[in-house]
Amino acid sequence: MKNNPKLPASFRDPSGFLFFEKKKLYRQVNQLYQENYDRLMKSGLYDHLVKSDKLIPHTEVRLAPPEPDKAYKVIQPEELGFISYPYEWSFSQLKDAALLTLEIQKRALKHGMSLKDSSAFNIQFRLEDARPVLIDTLSFEVYQEGSPWVAYRQYCQHFLAPLTLMAYNDVRLSQLLRVYIDGIPLDLASGLLPRRTRFNFGLLSHIHVHATAQKRYAAEDVRKVAQTRTMSKTSLLGLIDSLERTTEKLELDFSGTEWGEYYQDTNYTRKAVEHKKELVANYIDQANPKVVWDLGGNVGTFSRLASEKGIPTICFDVDTDAVEKTYREIKANKETNLLPLALDLTNPSPDIGWGNRERRSLLRRSTPDLIMALALVHHLSISNNVPLEMVAEYFSSLSPWLILEFIPKSDSQVQRLLATREDIFPNYTFAGMEEAFGRYYEIVAQEDIRESERRVYLMKRE
Amino acid sequence: MYSHFSEIMVEILNGPMLKNQPYLDPGSGSFILQILLAGLVGIGFAFRSYWGKLLGFFRKDSGEEASEEDSSADEE
Repeated sequence: MKNNPKLPASFRDPSGFLFFEKKKLYRQVNQLYQENYDRLMKSGLYDHLVKSDKLIPHTEVRLAPPEPDKAYKVIQPEELGFISYPYEWSFSQLKDAALLTLEIQKRALKHGMSLKDSSAFNIQFRLEDARPVLIDTLSFEVYQEGSPWVAYRQYCQHFLAPLTLMAYNDVRLSQLLRVYIDGIPLDLASGLLPRRTRFNFGLLSHIHVHATAQKRYAAEDVRKVAQTRTMSKTSLLGLIDSLERTTEKLELDFSGTEWGEYYQDTNYTRKAVEHKKELVANYIDQANPKVVWDLGGNVGTFSRLASEKGIPTICFDVDTDAVEKTYREIKANKETNLLPLALDLTNPSPDIGWGNRERRSLLRRSTPDLIMALALVHHLSISNNVPLEMVAEYFSSLSPWLILEFIPKSDSQVQRLLATREDIFPNYTFAGMEEAFGRYYEIVAQEDIRESERRVYLMKRE
Repeated sequence: MYSHFSEIMVEILNGPMLKNQPYLDPGSGSFILQILLAGLVGIGFAFRSYWGKLLGFFRKDSGEEASEEDSSADEE
């Protein structure tokens, strides 16, 4: 079997493709794309976008291309700390990615270029500052005056439709993006959205009428139309402007205040919180990680113990409202090294796409040095019936270091979970947990949290 | 010979759309919708741009200049 260094997701665009060589990422730019690439680099568009942190920078390198008969150049793009997918983003993250796409399109037109696709997968969030950035350098083409925007359909399906569904129906509908890998079909979105969306000109045009037009003209040969009707640059800018204003107006029905109360509601006194923070910070120092994942990190209270030390940290939580709140705070306070993402640990993002290899499952993308599982395990073992040993096994496959906070049955939080069910968890005790985790880890340190029933552990994989 | 000529003419007339051979399927419906919307959104946009520039002109004395980037945005 030929060792194909090409990335499994990088095959649709004939302009070029990504590949690995000696664990470094490169992009082959094909001769087919030469005119566009040169224009991108010489027109000032590349410089402007890179300077304003909107496009990932790259360097041209002398490297043997994997497909030399097609190749024009090989470039090396700056690598990202973590790859995330649109179905792992909160509403505002998807919205910011959408608005960035449109901003880039407007800027491109100023330099005589245009985006030839607007897939949400072309945008990534940087770990450094949780800002979105375009990663597909080959997305630009020379603008032909008169052409409509070839990426219009994709923008509506990847961005506008899911955002509108999240705003008007339910924020959880972002998960449709897992199923519809090229964005949500407009007829589906149109059918689900409430009638009042038809009174919004932008949503009416770009979703409802757009869905009808797709059905009506599906079999049509548009070349006859292309001969006589063209779209002036002003009209194109008008279209982008309309999409921008329509997208900008979408707001989530979100109060964000419930999560602020989280620590008041639960079993921590002020002293307990302070002590827990001390312990976790200390254990982070002992583990000395390069990357941290805070699983069930909620609003990032403890993630920040790592990120504020300058350690890139990802705060995962199943609750998208928590992810949303954390993201808004990071933006408002210009925090660094912290990226919040949505994750259901009992059903994490799977491998999807062509050959089930196009978009990778969480574990296959990258792994951290340290994971934090604070006030988490009872949700997995009790609410979700995952045996402690399986939790231990899964965690140990993710990372060499673990900081775990165990909440025993005597704690009222756990009692609340057991209130309506039979207690079938005889091993859910300190000893039971230590035994289960002991099969995969060595317990390096442990300490009880003052004024609480809980205990924090630092564990190292054996 | 003549049929070849007319084929070539069709290709030339199709110029703007086919020159860049988009790898993405823009969708016939999406294409036609844009043409239909073109007039509407073009007028609206042009109006907003000139209105914005006009307001910018009046604001110059207060030290604010309407930047080129914002000319397409609403002056709110």
